[in-house]
Amino acid sequence: MQKIIENLSFGFVLAIFLIAHPTLSFSQKTPSLPPVAGPFPTGRPGALPPAIAPRMGSDTSEKSLKVDPSVNLSLCVTQGTVTVNSWKRDELRVFVHSGSKFGFKISQKSEKTGDPVWVMLMGIEARKKYTVPTECISGGEIEIDVPANAVVNIKGEDVNTSVDGVRKTNVLVSGGSISLRNVAQGVTARTFQGGVTVEESKGPMDLKTTNGNIVVFEAGPSEIGDTFAARTEGGTISLQNVEHRQLDVSSISGSVAYNGAILSGGTYNLTTTNGSIRMAIPQNSACRVSATYSQGRFETEMPFTVEEETVQPGAKTVKGKFGNGGDAVIRLISSIGSIAIRKQ
Amino acid sequence: MKENCLDIGTIQAFLDRELEQAESTRVSSHIAACDGCALMLSQAEDESAVVFSALEREFDTLVPTQRLWGRINDAIETERRETPFWQKVFAYVRVSLANPSLAMAASLIIVVGIVAAIMMNRTAPVTETSPDVVATKTVPVINTPPIVAPLDVKPNVAPVVRVERASYRPETRRPTVEPAVLKQPVTAAPASDYMPGEESYVKTIANLNKTVEQKKDDVMKPSQRIAYERQMAMVDDSITKMRQEVKKNPKNESARQVLYTSYQNKIDLLNSVSQKEELMASLR
Repeated sequence: MQKIIENLSFGFVLAIFLIAHPTLSFSQKTPSLPPVAGPFPTGRPGALPPAIAPRMGSDTSEKSLKVDPSVNLSLCVTQGTVTVNSWKRDELRVFVHSGSKFGFKISQKSEKTGDPVWVMLMGIEARKKYTVPTECISGGEIEIDVPANAVVNIKGEDVNTSVDGVRKTNVLVSGGSISLRNVAQGVTARTFQGGVTVEESKGPMDLKTTNGNIVVFEAGPSEIGDTFAARTEGGTISLQNVEHRQLDVSSISGSVAYNGAILSGGTYNLTTTNGSIRMAIPQNSACRVSATYSQGRFETEMPFTVEEETVQPGAKTVKGKFGNGGDAVIRLISSIGSIAIRKQ
Repeated sequence: MKENCLDIGTIQAFLDRELEQAESTRVSSHIAACDGCALMLSQAEDESAVVFSALEREFDTLVPTQRLWGRINDAIETERRETPFWQKVFAYVRVSLANPSLAMAASLIIVVGIVAAIMMNRTAPVTETSPDVVATKTVPVINTPPIVAPLDVKPNVAPVVRVERASYRPETRRPTVEPAVLKQPVTAAPASDYMPGEESYVKTIANLNKTVEQKKDDVMKPSQRIAYERQMAMVDDSITKMRQEVKKNPKNESARQVLYTSYQNKIDLLNSVSQKEELMASLR
């Protein structure tokens, strides 16, 4: 009996140890990574470090690849500054300063030339004895040169992006500003924290930011029917010389400013919940205007023919025309704020 | 006595028939010729007679060897048949636990079982809810019978207290958390109160609200969250005001236009949270 008791006691102690050890081990939190010192920008004050990014390394590397002129480049960047420029060479060059290692993944080749037409930039995370490909890369500065006819798709978390001179670009980042310039055939830009700037670009445009301003100037369609949409929830929208014939512009808590021509057949919808709407159009513009506002007022310094004015509790609507009316329509809605149209 | 007379030991061995045949013949011949030895033999016989008479009962008792073994075997068989099952199991366990390996294995199983039981009976963690979510707290309710005052109550006499054993037992040990009830924004309205074209907006917003309310804390940083709430309040305020105006005057097209624009703004605002959540998920 004594032997049995001794055996049971030893067994209990051993079993408790076997259970407690893994339990306590798993219950502990993984120690957070130490702060990484480096010259890279943090995007904005108080920005949290990326949760999914491979640690920013200190590698500076450059790679190039011969590609098809109309190559489609896709990359995911967790942190850093991305600058994309075009050049007149059928070559893709990527330079990462103070960042992670990377490589090219060729997803498709041209049937004619055999050169890559779809390239993905992959990060390489170095482990102890081997390397692991990751979808995203990070770096203090990431410079990319692509052929002028290339399409660039960027996805990221905390990235300041600048693209210049490509055929088309799509940028989707959770934080960071987006600056696009000289894009020939279309822009899609979406950031949840930061501004969007588009300059001298053509094609359909879809610009959205949650907390940031949108500034567009010298933009237009590349084909008939290209539309322009800009939306911010907590910022202002400023458009100058935007030549699209269909504009949908809206802000929740910011003002909207439009400075440019009113093209025949165009439809211009500008709305804001809490902000003013300011338009500066040529004096000889011919268009119909519908301005609805709840608080504030509607004013214009140009000859305006009021066709209908509805003043009701809560909201007012003024309908009229500039010039002979024409076939362009401007719809302006502001819940809290004034609406003003002045001449250029 | 002759010099070659027998000693008492030889005489006693002769009486006990323990001598060899030749020796016994020699002793017998000697006794026949020797008076002294014959006397000693006679005395030894007398003494043996006294002793044997005293031990006669013992010596006469037969040792029933076969019968004894038979009875022993019968007793064992009977005991084996009549032993309860649990005593057999106990005996088996006791023998098995004498082995250290089996004892440790048994201990491990017992401890694992105890831990598993504790884990299973542990109370479920209460999920945190956002400030906008009102979760009803469940409190066990004991249904007590209504107290009926007896008709012949004497005012100065203390009522007899009947102590009864409480038979209350909670239905389950785990606290049940009822589904959280979202604070519906001001846009919520009974189905009959919907204005033309409003119902689709309200339902879309309600569906988005269900998903966004759970995600927004994870998706948005504090500064973004503040901005989001501020914008949402702004939109809700606009919806409230415009809706009242449209309710008062259904022909107020201006207010209706602002109302629907505000609805759309709210949908876009909620959508932005979902889109960001999707983006973050795709990056992981």
